[in-house]
Amino acid sequence: MKVKYLISLLAVLFVGTQLLLAGTITGKVSGAGAGTVIWVDDPAAKAEPPAKPFVMDQKGMLFVPHVLVVPVGSTVDFLNSDSVQHNVFWKGKTGHNLGTWPKGEKRSFKFDSPGVVSLFCNVHPEMSAYIIVASTSHYATTDANGEYTIQNVADGAHTVSVWHEGMKQQSKQVTVAGAIKADFTLGK
Amino acid sequence: MRTKAGIFCIFFLVLLFCPVASHAIPAFSRQYQTSCTTCHSDFPKLNDFGKAFKDAGFKFPTDNDSFLKIPAIMLGAPAQKELFPHSVWPGTIPGNLPVGLRMNTFFQKTSGNRGNFNALVPPGTVPPFIPKTDFSTGLFSIFTAGNFGGDIAFWVDDDISVGGQNANGGLGDGYLRFVNLGRVFRLPQNSLHLRVGHFELDLPFSQARSINISPYDIYTQANIGAVTPGFTQQNVNNLFSFAGGASGVEFSGGRSYGGYHYSIAIVNQNTSGASPGTNPFVPSPTGGANGGLGFSSDSNFKDLYGRVSYRFNLERDAASRNAVQAAGASGPRDHTYLNVGAFSFYGRSVQRFSGQDLTGMPVVLTAQEPFYRMGGDFSFNYRTFNIYGLFMYGHDTNQLPVDITGTPVPLPITGVIPPVGFIHGTPATFTGGFVQTDYLVLPWVMAIMRWDVVNSGEDRINGLSQNTSTPFNLPFRSTRNRFTPGVQFLIHANIKASFEYQFRPQQSVTVITNPITGLPVAIQPFRTNTAVTGLEWVF
Repeated sequence: MKVKYLISLLAVLFVGTQLLLAGTITGKVSGAGAGTVIWVDDPAAKAEPPAKPFVMDQKGMLFVPHVLVVPVGSTVDFLNSDSVQHNVFWKGKTGHNLGTWPKGEKRSFKFDSPGVVSLFCNVHPEMSAYIIVASTSHYATTDANGEYTIQNVADGAHTVSVWHEGMKQQSKQVTVAGAIKADFTLGK
Repeated sequence: MRTKAGIFCIFFLVLLFCPVASHAIPAFSRQYQTSCTTCHSDFPKLNDFGKAFKDAGFKFPTDNDSFLKIPAIMLGAPAQKELFPHSVWPGTIPGNLPVGLRMNTFFQKTSGNRGNFNALVPPGTVPPFIPKTDFSTGLFSIFTAGNFGGDIAFWVDDDISVGGQNANGGLGDGYLRFVNLGRVFRLPQNSLHLRVGHFELDLPFSQARSINISPYDIYTQANIGAVTPGFTQQNVNNLFSFAGGASGVEFSGGRSYGGYHYSIAIVNQNTSGASPGTNPFVPSPTGGANGGLGFSSDSNFKDLYGRVSYRFNLERDAASRNAVQAAGASGPRDHTYLNVGAFSFYGRSVQRFSGQDLTGMPVVLTAQEPFYRMGGDFSFNYRTFNIYGLFMYGHDTNQLPVDITGTPVPLPITGVIPPVGFIHGTPATFTGGFVQTDYLVLPWVMAIMRWDVVNSGEDRINGLSQNTSTPFNLPFRSTRNRFTPGVQFLIHANIKASFEYQFRPQQSVTVITNPITGLPVAIQPFRTNTAVTGLEWVF
């Protein structure tokens, strides 16, 4: 019994220490509208993908959502909610073509490599979406004012990357020690 | 006569370069906010989804409302149906003005021997000048199409200007289509549709919505009997061709993306090319005693056109085989299919002459010459490769005018020897068709190879007299072959650059008399080939 209490106490102390050493990154992204994605790149960090898959739907001849951010290692279910046939494919090093599936069915894919994945449907060229596969679980999207907050980032040096559709992706080195501020200005 | 031949040369070349109508529908892109390529592989060529969209009455085959980004405007609440017949049945109109515009422009280069036709011009006359290269303005067209809710579709397209000339165009198609009319009679789904108005016949391969710059030769083939003296003459002057539109009604059924399809059309008869008739004492339905549009038929008879086809989708998976598109391993695609069909057109070509009865009293003699066109067609598609073709046989009954002694009156009738009746002569016939391959090399690159062939002994004989009614001047032989390779590039989904090289049939401007038969023959054949490049855009 005492051992259990001791383990619990140590665990609380460990988490508390981590939280005390974790910082917060806030800032503003200019030059782009809401929905800009900001994430902390840290190859050494281990992402914590949720057990429940993310969902990228195809509905009304649109990908929904248009931008999906997932930590590396996550599984995304690609659902077809339309009564017309769709397809999902993407190019690049991790390029895949998931084929065709009817309404109500889905195909799943696990994203093991960080990066920006541009999704397409090969019969409806107006359809596109993005999956941002972040190397950590620390990411956020900007609000209507272009502001964001990423919490629980471990203290230390990190790379913060910013992406918005149609804009040049940017990265910046920051050193987190408590709360810091990192602003960006995106351009085409 | 020689001057006429020279004028004909110009007319022929203009026709040669005249672009054919073709349409993609930007209005649908706006309504559904989808790309042209959703329905077209290389506009205006429809892919399987486009065919299903058209079959359904210009709407998505299922769940149409969920795809409309611009909701339709209701003309009466749907609940009004409960009040019928004490209310107007509710319908809709498109939420946006479903108008599309189209423009094209061309550049053409004609081979160096184009001046050979100058030999047809009489001495002392300045021959027509045909430039080696030329920029040519094509069509500026407006078109609109959509759905009025329920199952009523509409289509109107009109060429506002042709060749840069104002109002030099005309109506293409203009019709209402009542889709699934068969449900009124509790017939199976898609078994009966009704189309009313002016439309291109349900040809195996559309001419009005062809991807080619030049029309299919067999579709423009009229049947003009041989009139050259010295040869057996024929009294056939049938200007009917499949390239023209028809006014009437059409019953159809089936699907064009799999399974059976049929159509039966009853359309106006006018094979003489006569302008709309008017009579100050007989009001037309569209105007007063001396106004309105008059009448466009030149006969009481209505022509009949029928087509039946069956498309075998060849996917192994039954579910995929019956779907609008095949479920490929890398996404939806057009089916692998074999489509076979047959078609037939029956009409009665009318010619009226001033003649006499047996008592010598002047009368109007009417020659009603039954004619038919019939043939078969096929289309095989594998992925992005499509080969298709058509064969057609044309047959016109030949009623030769005879004088009071029963002797055939020499043609053309001049009135010197008045005819009193007709006897049956050798029918005027022709055969022909085409085979074309389309290969979509990339989603934006279409390679085309086409072979056109028309065999008409009458055209050859008429050409020997430099008859301007033949589509080819002084053809060297009865069979005219044309090879037309081409390539097309989609700069965007709505902008297309096309190139076509027309390797023309052999022609000749030199005629000699055969010393053995005493009949004229053409010698020294040559080809006047043409390269045409065009830009077309719709918006």
